[in-house]
Amino acid sequence: MNEDPYAVALKNALTEIKNICPDVSRSFIFAKDGTIVAGDSETDEKTMEKMIQSFQSVAEKADTIGSLKAFYVNGKKGKVIISNVNDMYLALVASKNVDTTYLHSVTHVIIPTVLKLLETITPTPIQSAPSKQLVVDTLSGFFIGDSVQIDTELLEEWAKLLNQKSVNQVDIEAFGGKATQCKVKEINEPKLKGKGMIRIPEKVCKTLEVKKGELVKVKPA
Amino acid sequence: MSAKNKSKNDIEILQEKLQSIKGREGIIGYILRGSNSASIDLKDPTKIIDYAVLSATSFEAGQDMSSMFEVDEVHTILLEGEGTKILSRVVNDHRLSIFMEKNVDHNKLSKDLNLA
Repeated sequence: MNEDPYAVALKNALTEIKNICPDVSRSFIFAKDGTIVAGDSETDEKTMEKMIQSFQSVAEKADTIGSLKAFYVNGKKGKVIISNVNDMYLALVASKNVDTTYLHSVTHVIIPTVLKLLETITPTPIQSAPSKQLVVDTLSGFFIGDSVQIDTELLEEWAKLLNQKSVNQVDIEAFGGKATQCKVKEINEPKLKGKGMIRIPEKVCKTLEVKKGELVKVKPA
Repeated sequence: MSAKNKSKNDIEILQEKLQSIKGREGIIGYILRGSNSASIDLKDPTKIIDYAVLSATSFEAGQDMSSMFEVDEVHTILLEGEGTKILSRVVNDHRLSIFMEKNVDHNKLSKDLNLA
């Protein structure tokens, strides 16, 4: 888990949420790529990772309803509430009698305020990396999946900048204005490595309206 | 009436109620899946597979999270997307997912279906 000032401030915000809503027993925040940003001391990292994995399995299949904004599990003894706040997800576990409307109001005021404050006082956003212009190469075939492929060195450079173990998703923007987010893997063909290329499945090329040889802007999501 | 027959009767009543709410404004459709059969009624049949996969995955995720955080038996699972939401729950041994637009009052819908 991150221990930078950004994460510490969010951890404090989570503590405040618990103070205001004692019905909340556990809380943590994670990024869209699954990275844990901040969490309380009651929940161990392994549990958080397992929950994020379950949530992402749903998020991956939620394109048909637009991106996943919230996931609620109402159980006999309590509730699990995961909701989208800015570019992140806030996960809360609360008692069955929690006032969800009140909780929603509190969390959706505190967290965005803290984030906005951090953006104001931090000269450069901590979680950002410069975008790169890469040359498109198309991937075709039945089993290519939805992931794009990028040079290992670039992925490592980004991961280092972001203080993450790895980069799993990227934002791709075509010069025509179309943009999308994709999972990313390393380029696996040795002869294509180190050429400033991004290998994009044909389906994604259509979405972006780009062709082989054209340039696109790519940055970690 | 035996427990098995009562359960069958409950599902038949639920199916009738689902038929009655499917024409309501904002209701996209539903999937009611038992161990041997499924009733599917969606306004856009091209989305059947996508919705079925999403419904099944959310049930699994809901069960996983329930065990992880010890919230016990899952009553309902609610999934919200950009403009659509899905209300899922187990009714007897059937898995029901109702797909609707985000502005639909799912609590009222649950009450109308006697699921609240």
